Amino acid sequence: MLLTLDILTTAAILFIVSIGLLAIFGVLKIINFAHGAWLTVGAYCAVVTAKLGLNPWLALPLAFAVGAALGGLAEHFIIRPLYRRPLDAILATWGLGIVVGQLITLAFGRDVQLTPNLLAGTVEILGVDYSAYRLVALGIALAIGTLFALTIERTRLGLSARAVIMNETLARSLGIDTGRVRLVVFMIGAGFAALAGVLLTPLTSVDPNMGVAWLIGAFMLVMVADASYLALAAACLVFGAAQVLISTFVSPILGSIAIAVLAALVLRISPKGFSRA
Amino acid sequence: MLETLPVTERAAAAPRRRRLSRAAPVVVAILAALALWIAPLVLDTFAVNVLTRSMIYAVLAVTVDLLWGFAGILTFGQAAFFGVGAYATAMILTAYGATPLGIAAAVAAALVAPALLGLAVGWLSFYHRSTPLYASVISLVVPIVVVQLIYAGGEWTGSSSGLVGFDVLPFESEGYFRLAALFLIVVTLAAWILVRADAGRALVALRDNEARCAYLGLNPRRLQIRLTAALAAVAGIAGFLFANASGVVAPENAGFLFGTELVIWVALGGRGTLLGPVLGTIAIDYLAANLSGDLPFLWQLLLGTAFVAIIILLPGGLADLVGRLWRALPAGRREPAPPRLVARAADPDAAASATPILTVENLAKAYGALTVLEGIDLEIRAGELVSLVGPNGAGKTTLMRCLSDGTEPFTGAIAIGGTPITGLTPNRIVGLGVGRKFQVASVFESLSVADCLRLARASHDGLSPVGQAETLGLPQAALDVLRMTGLDRLLTRPTRLLSHGQKQALELAMVVALEPRLILLDEPTAGLTKAERTTIGTVLKALTAGGRIAAVLVEHDLDFVREISSRIVVLHQGRLVLDGTVEDVVGSELVRTIYSGGAHG
Repeated sequence: MLLTLDILTTAAILFIVSIGLLAIFGVLKIINFAHGAWLTVGAYCAVVTAKLGLNPWLALPLAFAVGAALGGLAEHFIIRPLYRRPLDAILATWGLGIVVGQLITLAFGRDVQLTPNLLAGTVEILGVDYSAYRLVALGIALAIGTLFALTIERTRLGLSARAVIMNETLARSLGIDTGRVRLVVFMIGAGFAALAGVLLTPLTSVDPNMGVAWLIGAFMLVMVADASYLALAAACLVFGAAQVLISTFVSPILGSIAIAVLAALVLRISPKGFSRA
Repeated sequence: MLETLPVTERAAAAPRRRRLSRAAPVVVAILAALALWIAPLVLDTFAVNVLTRSMIYAVLAVTVDLLWGFAGILTFGQAAFFGVGAYATAMILTAYGATPLGIAAAVAAALVAPALLGLAVGWLSFYHRSTPLYASVISLVVPIVVVQLIYAGGEWTGSSSGLVGFDVLPFESEGYFRLAALFLIVVTLAAWILVRADAGRALVALRDNEARCAYLGLNPRRLQIRLTAALAAVAGIAGFLFANASGVVAPENAGFLFGTELVIWVALGGRGTLLGPVLGTIAIDYLAANLSGDLPFLWQLLLGTAFVAIIILLPGGLADLVGRLWRALPAGRREPAPPRLVARAADPDAAASATPILTVENLAKAYGALTVLEGIDLEIRAGELVSLVGPNGAGKTTLMRCLSDGTEPFTGAIAIGGTPITGLTPNRIVGLGVGRKFQVASVFESLSVADCLRLARASHDGLSPVGQAETLGLPQAALDVLRMTGLDRLLTRPTRLLSHGQKQALELAMVVALEPRLILLDEPTAGLTKAERTTIGTVLKALTAGGRIAAVLVEHDLDFVREISSRIVVLHQGRLVLDGTVEDVVGSELVRTIYSGGAHG
């Protein structure tokens, strides 16, 4: 039971962390290395909220706004000029990640920051005491997933985004402002990443390099999901389960590289990953 | 300057100049070695120690540059190979001490372990239809895995604190400085000779157009895997030197952050040049050692900002800036001498045989529910010039693709000269004697005309890893194409400057240079002028007239088809509806209705 809860909540957290990256990968076809930096920015929004003495949950809208604003700037000044050089765009986002990380270090120092717990305590569920926050995270992941699905399937932006994902040239010739779609999606992706940063604060220590630790896992999950949010959910469940099981029964160190190694092998065998299923 | 010289003097000047330019890297290397040998006498201890490390890092930068700048493989994995070499050294020296045997074992391990890991990584990263992004992703995963294994290694690897206090080579810091300098010079010189040699062009060709490499009979996968393994070994030796010089190895040495730093140094210095990354790495690492004590965060911030700015504004790095200034000078504008074209006798083995060159039996192909080809039977013998006609969407290009790539999922059987091709990659099919010209001219944009042609001959004649051949041997038919289109006077011209028609002609010459038994041409005359069309028609007729070669071409221009074909095959909605002589087909009622759109349903 404990194991099942661990698997579900781990998958939920992975999903929250990766969804912003997935949006950007799907539409812009680049892996956004600054993703780790957006997570960190979000976490520091929680720090700032706490310093101002506000309700810690207020950090969520703040982080989304800050992330989206920074994402907009990054898309305009860094990603757009590199539209025709995707590998260079990846490198530039890595450089951007360094810059953001150092700016945070200059502003807040290198030390670990303490943040107020969003939700403390445990709940008894089916006979085991379980962290209330992790259960809430599960709910939040479901909410974000639903919101995402509705946006993609039911809104005009979602329709344009799907068109760009399938065939950008055709979408443009049909009069869709693909540049705007890219900008908006990048802003939303960065906003979601920052939001995820806030949600991570109760689970991990907050320091200027915290994002990097999450980056590779998110990165591999998105590669395997290949721009499909349902495939991402499936990948989070499968690889989250692998991580939890290997950490529990074999070794935590092997568990920490389980996602990266397994995802790499899956991609080698089936280059389209989970999206074909 | 040279343009004004009489022809004979130009011809005499060319070899002399070539000898000079061939000696240049060696001369530069000797001068650099002398300067670096003396350097420790005038530098303080701090500078000597830091520069030793910087020069070892510069070796890694050279390997990253060869992979990324030349061969187009963006890699973060060199740090892992470096770390494996350093840890192998430290672990063996901890266990056996710096005895002659211990040192020899450490060198061997630092060479072999990374090379084996490189082979495995290469196998994982490169396969038929793998993407560059996938290779980069794998190169990210490798250092992460290596670091976690180091953490898991307990006493063996010293876990998170690393290994320290092992015996090392009996050198002072000056000795290590000179050793690192020598190593850097040897590696850079070897890389320099390689990239200037004909074999170096193959790396650039891989970066430019991997598919074209495969369709020239080169095995891109094998080249990439070998390059990865060889450069992993070089990184491993750098690790050996680092472990000895610093006396300490730590997990960070193998980490992906270090891997990204290497990429940053190469990008700032100038990918695709060798001196750029070497000097860039030394300068940045030396500056970092001096500045990061006082301004640790500001230094990283500046470096990160500079990196982003360089990637966006100056993708060639600082070396590109210097290169532009150099080319603005008269001395920098010299054109390299073109190789001499010589005719090569036809391959005597390629005698006409009784087996048909191509047999297709009951071929079918579908994309999901959409059937593109169905029930195709076809037999083509030497000497035939078969035109494949049919309206758009009839399956002509798909058929061509199936004939040249056995990994396409199709059912039925295709055999080239009696050998079934199911499952064979394009380069193996080229080995069976198939040459394919694409609809959109597929050449190597950053290479010269002569280099493109030389790569087309590489599967027959090989490529020199150390020098540039002074002659370029091509089959007579390829020479004819060049002569008729005037490309023989443009041998040193970069292909990106050629016109559309010239590119088409060059690709045709490259395909002909493969000496194929079966030539596949997808709309070879699309977008060409009347004169260019006539030239291509003449070449094709002459090629097949010998009775040893067959050609299949997809063509929309029915006048052209009528003029040159010996046989016409009509495809319609994925089926072969007509197969006969020019008279049969052109006079057919069926063809007329298909082309006037009346035969649907």
